[in-house]
Amino acid sequence: MRLSRALKAERAKVVCAQCEEALCDLSSHWKENAALNETPMNQLGSPYSTGEQVLLRLFSCPHCGALLDTETALPGEPFLRDEIFTS
Amino acid sequence: MIDPITFSIIRHRLFRVVDEAVITLKNVSGSAITNEGHDLMASLYRADGSLLMGGVGFLHHLTSAAEACKSIIRRFRDDIHEGDVFLLNDPYTAALHTSDVYLVAPVHHQGELVAWSACFVHVYDIGATNPGGFCPDAENIYTEGFSSPGLRLVEKGEINRAVMDTFLNMVRAPDMVALDLNSMIACNNVARERLLALIEKYGYDTVDETCRTLISQSEEKLRARLRELPDGEWQSRQYLSVKGEVARVALTMTKRDDSLVFDFTGSSEQSRYAVNCTRWASLGGLFAPLFPLLCYDITWNEGVIKPISMIAPPGSIVNCKRPAPVSVATVGAIQSVNNAACAAVCKMLSASEKYQDEATAVWHANHFAVFLFGRNQHQKQAIGILTETFAGAGGARAWADGIEVGGEIPNPISRMANVETVEYAFPVLYQFRRRLKDSGGPGRYRGGVGMELSLTPHDAPDGGLHYVVSGKGADFPMSDGLAGGYPGSPNAYLWIKNKGSASAGGGAGDAEPLAGAATPESLAGAATPESLAGAATPEAATREQQAVDWGVFPLLGQDALYLRWNGGGGWGDPLLRPEDEVCRDVREGLVSPEFAENVYGVVLDNATGQVNKAQTARNRARIVARRKTGGSHAPVARA
Repeated sequence: MRLSRALKAERAKVVCAQCEEALCDLSSHWKENAALNETPMNQLGSPYSTGEQVLLRLFSCPHCGALLDTETALPGEPFLRDEIFTS
Repeated sequence: MIDPITFSIIRHRLFRVVDEAVITLKNVSGSAITNEGHDLMASLYRADGSLLMGGVGFLHHLTSAAEACKSIIRRFRDDIHEGDVFLLNDPYTAALHTSDVYLVAPVHHQGELVAWSACFVHVYDIGATNPGGFCPDAENIYTEGFSSPGLRLVEKGEINRAVMDTFLNMVRAPDMVALDLNSMIACNNVARERLLALIEKYGYDTVDETCRTLISQSEEKLRARLRELPDGEWQSRQYLSVKGEVARVALTMTKRDDSLVFDFTGSSEQSRYAVNCTRWASLGGLFAPLFPLLCYDITWNEGVIKPISMIAPPGSIVNCKRPAPVSVATVGAIQSVNNAACAAVCKMLSASEKYQDEATAVWHANHFAVFLFGRNQHQKQAIGILTETFAGAGGARAWADGIEVGGEIPNPISRMANVETVEYAFPVLYQFRRRLKDSGGPGRYRGGVGMELSLTPHDAPDGGLHYVVSGKGADFPMSDGLAGGYPGSPNAYLWIKNKGSASAGGGAGDAEPLAGAATPESLAGAATPESLAGAATPEAATREQQAVDWGVFPLLGQDALYLRWNGGGGWGDPLLRPEDEVCRDVREGLVSPEFAENVYGVVLDNATGQVNKAQTARNRARIVARRKTGGSHAPVARA
């Protein structure tokens, strides 16, 4: 079952659509099991003249490095949670 | 049972009624914000005030104007007559902010109230503290201009001069505001005449049955579409900052079976600044992207409203309590609600095989709302928005890049005026207005780029003019990416000061260019505000810059106002963007070589501009490897 462009549900697991490796159980929050890179947004370059605290979060597959999702966040902000109801 | 051919003809005639009403607004109003920027709306409503046929323009007004009609019905009850026109602009009753004035008019057929027409324009002025209606530093709604929960402007076809004159007595530039009001009266007249002609031709019962069927059809179609989409919960978040204070619009959207709930619990408390919005404004704000994203092939009427509900905590920035200031709402919390709803809905669409191609990253998420005011070269007091604020950038989709300077989702007909139009209306000179490099959110499909411009006074009898800016800060990107796409770049607002110019004590109206002044020639080719004010050149040493995102500021002498505005969000992983597409972006000036290398991983040969395939492969592999390890760090730079 498709969860998003980059993720699907198989065998009660959240699976990377690119490498088909499992990230976690379907009952878990997949972002907590992804590889997270937090980059200060203003380091992207000139037009990204954001505040010092603003982060670009990149959630990637820890197995293949596919970029699964992004978020803009302040430090310590909880991850945005997206969930498909499977039952 | 109405035959399908007649049904279809009446349906399309209803579309044309609102189209013609919009054309009337544009042709009669004298304001650039209306006839150039298309900050307007005209729609038809049922006798009970429910939405019958939504028109184009700013779509967050469709539901608010419905509430305006219902409020007038409650207030005036049996005292509503053929030929009446009512004015309502109180945000705590139904409107979005005081400047967006609703004129709603009953439509009677054979003495019976059968429908309403409603429209709005952002009037030239509303008598608020600041010209143009946006009052960044208003402490409450009492300083945000004339505000009415409903009054009769036209009585049985005759303008109530006492009401009209009182209103015009409270605003700057009453002649222009009168044109705005006349445009809305004309708009409602056209809508009424065309609707009555339709009823005369086909009979009231046939038209009424068509309207009822259209509404039930829309509800059935939207519920059917929702049932095709997965059940789930999606979150989005928008930040906005004013004078260092950060507010948050938090959204959890839950879809079960054939209904959607938008829950803004977790959003910040109402702000001391005028970025708040009322409940009706939030409801309109979330519907604005829903109409085009979920109902692109469904008639926009009451039927599409029924499956949707909203939770907006009282006292929050999305449901503020009177007398909180709201004059900046439309470019403040309402726009953040637009963006949050767009992001959540599109994540839901992306989870569907069938509907994934309908999803889009967020478009133009941050209006910059600069109102110029002052005496112009024609010796008249001029007030007006820079309509570039409507010239947003498109978000990327699962199959295409965002459209460069492509507009915005909540207003399908938004656009900007020509440079010459602004230069004619105001004593200013554009030093440049152009697409902004690196502003489109990176992704497999890149977000459309935004723009940048620089203005200086020119031929100004008073040495320049002033402006009100309600930029809600430049700290946060707001055009969220989708499916791994990055957000588009944020806005920036800079006052470029020439030392010794009028605003720095040199005296207004200096005729001779000052040494080192920012002239069109010296600014030509400047790519960034840093290069406008940097110290790399002799003339630049005479300049300094100041961020001016909130308040009222001068534009005098040889100074300049520099603005840049956001790109659209990207879609998908930037490393999956084909090398030749990145190379083309660089060649066309939309992406810099540094950005291509650091974000897209594409290394270009300095001499030829062609892709260095070997270095690109190594660079992309290095970025992927670094992603897998996680951590906090700067973007990868090539070794």
